[in-house]
Amino acid sequence: MAWNDNDGRNKDPWSNQGGEQGPPDLDDAFRKLHGQLRGMFGRGGGGGSGSSSSGGKGKGFRLSPKLLLLVVVILVAVWGVFGFYQLDAQERGVVFRLGKVQEELKKPGLNWNPPIIDVVERVNTTRVNSSSHSSQMLTEDENIVKVDLVVQYQVTDAIKNVVHIRNPITSLEHATESALRHVVGSSKMDTVITEGREILGDSVQERLQSYVDRYQTGITVNKVNIDSVGPPEEVQEAFDDVQKAKEDQVRLINEANALAEQLIPEARGEAQKTIEGANAYRDQVIAQAEGEADRFTKLLEEYQNAPEVTKDRLYITALESVMKSTGKVLIDVEAGNNLLLLPLDQLQIGSAGAGGGQNLSTASNDSASNLLRRGQ
Amino acid sequence: MNASVRTIVIIVVLVLAGALALDAFFIVDERKRAILLRFGDVKSDEEGEKPGFHLKFPISDQVKYFDARVLTMDTPPQRYYTSEKKPLIVDSFVKWRVQNPKLYYTATSGEEETANRRLQDRVNEGLRNQIGRREMYEVISGERDELMQELTNELDQAMSERFGITVIDVRVKRIDLPDEVSAAVYDRMNSEREIEAKQYRASGREQALIIEADAERQKIVIEAEAYRDAEQIRGDGDASAAKTYADAYGADREFYEFYRSINAYVTVFEDGQSLLVLDPSSEFWKYLKSDSGN
Repeated sequence: MAWNDNDGRNKDPWSNQGGEQGPPDLDDAFRKLHGQLRGMFGRGGGGGSGSSSSGGKGKGFRLSPKLLLLVVVILVAVWGVFGFYQLDAQERGVVFRLGKVQEELKKPGLNWNPPIIDVVERVNTTRVNSSSHSSQMLTEDENIVKVDLVVQYQVTDAIKNVVHIRNPITSLEHATESALRHVVGSSKMDTVITEGREILGDSVQERLQSYVDRYQTGITVNKVNIDSVGPPEEVQEAFDDVQKAKEDQVRLINEANALAEQLIPEARGEAQKTIEGANAYRDQVIAQAEGEADRFTKLLEEYQNAPEVTKDRLYITALESVMKSTGKVLIDVEAGNNLLLLPLDQLQIGSAGAGGGQNLSTASNDSASNLLRRGQ
Repeated sequence: MNASVRTIVIIVVLVLAGALALDAFFIVDERKRAILLRFGDVKSDEEGEKPGFHLKFPISDQVKYFDARVLTMDTPPQRYYTSEKKPLIVDSFVKWRVQNPKLYYTATSGEEETANRRLQDRVNEGLRNQIGRREMYEVISGERDELMQELTNELDQAMSERFGITVIDVRVKRIDLPDEVSAAVYDRMNSEREIEAKQYRASGREQALIIEADAERQKIVIEAEAYRDAEQIRGDGDASAAKTYADAYGADREFYEFYRSINAYVTVFEDGQSLLVLDPSSEFWKYLKSDSGN
């Protein structure tokens, strides 16, 4: 293998010896060379049979250096032209010189490296690649979750990427899967599903980076985005119902709070109403008492000035008032002697109506005021 | 004729020299490891030949190249049993590289296939042992690192001694349950969610009842306190009124009795429904009979 790759290269060290075995179709070249040599020797032989072979040779070589030089120049030119190549702005070139990797990377632009001696591997070091994964996995509490993630990465060490690992991308994919499963496998499902997304991404990234560093991939993981974390389809419904239940919980509490918000102010209003009613009653009875007391006190003063007259007047006025409105039967007991027939129906009505005068204070008030007005 | 023979000889010599020259060196790529064999015998030391340009004897010396990069051996998923006899489907991979090309060549004839097969056997065995010693949750969770580290060390030791291979890492890509177990897990997950949902709803109702009861209690207390305050206020009013009455009426007790009585008479007969049966000889009627009142 190696000398097939390198067979052209030996032209430089050996070309001055006239070896022209370099070109691809060796047979052709040999035949040409052979013909030339024979021609040369033939002529040489014919020219001076007594001369030495070296002499003949020398005579023949007088023609051949031009040819040789031409061939060599063409070969070198072709060789040199194949050494040119171009690198994109995104690319860097890793140079293997005689198999040894060179520290210095080739920059974008037009470059030249001696073909065959140098082998150049192109590596894209600026593009941010992404690879996505979606899989179901076990959590620490033996539940199954479904995780979709995207890894964004970049080749930052071109030499490592080329030299130290075969299939760096496959390695990254394997490492991603392993890191993700490890992190999810060390977490409880609830943590993973609820608050875990950010943390999950970070710890997967950290772990993934440590793996790819270990494999010397020269890859830097820029970001691990957890697109979605959720229960697998088989249990999706039950999970949704839990969310609904949480909503229900909040709703029930809100409804109760609303009821409380209604009940308590209403109760406070009622309470205030009760108290205001009581205040009204208090003020009323006090005022009434004061009024009645004042009235009595004033009347008392007049009574004390003329007790007999006042008392009689009051008494007669009162009886007048009574007698005026009620049915009366006068029986002179001493003079009369007979049996008396009373109108019973009137008596009955009277007793029934007697129940009406219950509000003593107001009733007496009214009648007393009548009494007094009449008295004045 | 002599000359043409000489020509042929020269050509043959040149060709042979060229061929020998080509076979007198070799180049080792940075990505490869090489060992030099002389008549089939390994001449290189354990490191193998370094990257770069090397001379060798033509014909007698042969060079074997091996990939020196980190290689991946991806095992097919395998079923293992944990210590509590639960089945797990484990898919793992091994990262390895040729460390001792000489040993590697003698042990595997330099064939990656062979090395992979050896590795796979070892990994399967190692995983079986490691997983068989642990319970399921240990395999899935916290001890995964430890498990893998042990396995890596074990494997590395065995492989470097016998095959010249360094095992860099053994990782588990997937640890899954077999389908039939997965179904059971889904059932369990469903039932757990059901419980959770019920808990949330019950808790909602609980808290709602608590809030409502508290509101009711507050309402009753507020009303009762208002009643208490109202009664106190009424009492104050009654007391104050009573005192006012007492102060006024106490000035002349007899007159008060009279005053109050006649007021009462008026009130009692106010409705006019009563029938009075009277003796005309009473004080009121005394002038009815005579102007002197006797």
